[in-house]
Amino acid sequence: MKLEESKVFVNDCFSGEPASCSYACPFGLDIRFFMERVRKGRWIPAYKMFRDTVIFPVIVSRLCPQPCRNNCQRPSIGDEPLAVRDLEYACTLYALNRRPENFVIPPKTQRIAIIGAGPAGLSCALNLAQKNFHVILFEKETGWGGELRAHPDFKLFDEEIALQFSSTRVDFEFNREIGSLDELTGFDAIYVATGKNGATFDLMESRDSDLMNTSRPGVFMGGALCGVPLMESIAQGSLLARIMEAYFQTGRAARPDSDRVITDRVHFLNHSGEEKKALVTMASPDCYTEGEAKAEASRCFLCDCKICWENCEMIKWFRKMPPRLGVEVYTDSQAGSSLSKRSLIRETYSCNICGKCKSVCPVGVDIGALMQFSREDRLRTNKNIPAFHDFWIRQFDFHTSEAFFVSPSKEMKSCEYLFFPGCQLGAAEPDHVLKSYAYLQETLNAGIMVGCCGAPAYWAGDKKRLSGNVERIRSIWDSMDRPTFIFACAYCENIFRLLMPEIKQESLYTVMAKDDTIVPARLFEAAAMFDPCTARDDLSMQEGIRILAGRANVAIEELDNPNRCCGYGGHMRLANPGLYEEITKHRKDASDKPYIVYCANCREVFRQKGKECAHILDMVYEIDQGKCAPTLKSQKENALEVKKKLMKRLIGDDFIPEKHEWDSIRLIISQELQDELDRKLIIEDDLKEAIWLAERTGERFLSDDGVFQCSMVKSVLTYWVQYKELATGEYEIQSAYIHRMKFNREG
Amino acid sequence: MEQNRTWKCAKCDKELVLKKMLFSYLGHTFSHEIMRCPKCGNGLIPKELAEGRMAEVEAQLEDK
Repeated sequence: MKLEESKVFVNDCFSGEPASCSYACPFGLDIRFFMERVRKGRWIPAYKMFRDTVIFPVIVSRLCPQPCRNNCQRPSIGDEPLAVRDLEYACTLYALNRRPENFVIPPKTQRIAIIGAGPAGLSCALNLAQKNFHVILFEKETGWGGELRAHPDFKLFDEEIALQFSSTRVDFEFNREIGSLDELTGFDAIYVATGKNGATFDLMESRDSDLMNTSRPGVFMGGALCGVPLMESIAQGSLLARIMEAYFQTGRAARPDSDRVITDRVHFLNHSGEEKKALVTMASPDCYTEGEAKAEASRCFLCDCKICWENCEMIKWFRKMPPRLGVEVYTDSQAGSSLSKRSLIRETYSCNICGKCKSVCPVGVDIGALMQFSREDRLRTNKNIPAFHDFWIRQFDFHTSEAFFVSPSKEMKSCEYLFFPGCQLGAAEPDHVLKSYAYLQETLNAGIMVGCCGAPAYWAGDKKRLSGNVERIRSIWDSMDRPTFIFACAYCENIFRLLMPEIKQESLYTVMAKDDTIVPARLFEAAAMFDPCTARDDLSMQEGIRILAGRANVAIEELDNPNRCCGYGGHMRLANPGLYEEITKHRKDASDKPYIVYCANCREVFRQKGKECAHILDMVYEIDQGKCAPTLKSQKENALEVKKKLMKRLIGDDFIPEKHEWDSIRLIISQELQDELDRKLIIEDDLKEAIWLAERTGERFLSDDGVFQCSMVKSVLTYWVQYKELATGEYEIQSAYIHRMKFNREG
Repeated sequence: MEQNRTWKCAKCDKELVLKKMLFSYLGHTFSHEIMRCPKCGNGLIPKELAEGRMAEVEAQLEDK
């Protein structure tokens, strides 16, 4: 992986970048940072960063025309922009220690001549002197200041210049007019800053406006001489110092990359929820008091985009914004040795990949796509954690093999419509599939394919499984004369749209909504609509559900922030159980009303969490209201029952499920333990197999009170079972647990 | 109850003894003392260990 490959997902994110005001500032001052300090009365750090950026704080805070105020976002709610310059000036008054810092920097060998001690020349001289270059400043007048000398406040500015130069060494030669550059020998660079209408030494035409260099090597030109306004002239001084440094090092003038201001990144955020606050007025005519300044600075929105953060528990949980995630996906991919710690494993597998971030982001940054990219890369390079997805990969394998079933309608060879209910619908409730299909068969003569769209493989980053499944579905679709697929699950729709866009799609719910003979049962008087994340872009599906619920005469409450993932998405539950609990709790508590859902996974999650909910098909067929979530065991049985009934109905054959030697074993499991096993995603069949294996090989432990314990390694997990034998082939399970490590008894 | 139970290897009919066992996960290998059969070497991992310290170490290794 290259850094650009992972950063491309987050390149447009502007979180953490300077706010819109800073883009207008000639100095690029980080005004947000400044305001954050000022509002807390932290004058010294505020002053320090202000001084380091603008060089002459007193001059700038008196004379800057404040283009920043045109980019202030407070006016978007009808307020006046922040009084930026007044706050800067207050800062110069209340910062107790204004002495410039004196850094110990090794002296440089280069000598630089500056012609003109006006704002441009002074700024450049000071910047270079701070880097310990030897600077000699030539000025034809009797003192420094240039155009500022005529200003009524010059006394103030004179003191400021003296203060800022007080801890660096610059040789000033006043009353010295340079008639020709040939007078200046022994200099490595010359800066011509002779002010408005000043001497140009015939170099003006050759001047490069970006790098400020001229046709004469080592001679630069800038400031009012070149028509640059006052603030920009001062700002140029610090830029030129860096251009000169590059020139000394490489022989070529070059602009540091970081100086390139990308103005098209200025973004205005939505502040509609913010409280209006009027400009703080000054009690005294000259300046803000400390209290006034703090109050005024508190009006700053500290504009920074955190919309994804506000909408995503995962981003909040890890406290990492997109730009950092983009870099870490790359650095993780490079971490190879057992000593280097990877920083993003948990994050990568904690994402619901629900697309919420993308839908709220002003520039459409999709963290889910980044995490998906990382998952695929990790699997490809064996840097994945198999245990995070093993359970669902096994489910996927089951639904695409043993439980898979496809057939056109009875006595047909092809079909115009093919119902694709998805793997979870029938596993949760067989009638959801069987009755819906009966309806579609009767009305549209539809066929049916019971399988899996591939979401578990997609979320695991398992491209091989995913493409195998796609190829199979596509070839069946082809052989059945390319029917339109009718989906009952929005995620299947999304996966198909992504991987098989040529297949025409229809939603079961929009089909049902068009048929006004379908009147769902009124299972609730009032309910909140929980639209799944996957239906975010499918407005006709959302509308269809509302039409159906409306026919049931249920009063529908709309959620404030809809289309958020219930927690199931991305199969992140095993990678981050704590976050999973938090997400599911948030969703469950989004309304105190029961939910109407139309995604089998939402239904399963909410029922497991004890939230009253009904799938729209529960309402259509008046089934199962308020019942608990099906156990893992019954999910498997349900899926097989669906296949069995469909096979009988459509082909007339009897379905014979795969046989295992442990099938005849009977387990007694208390309800409490069953709940625990379901939480840990431990399937009963695996316990049967472990016991069968232990009984056959004799490899088990026996306690003094007659309890057996055995273990079995299956796929990436080790299963442990404690059991009592009640009769031949009948066992009472006392406890069961799993771990991911393997142990080696030869060691 | 769990702590007080004494286990023996049902296959070898031997009392278990505390002995080092090699563990591996995600390419890392290390050893830890657990109760094992002195004859066949089969080891017993109690629930507290599997869901406690082992789960912690698993999580640490997953983040490496």
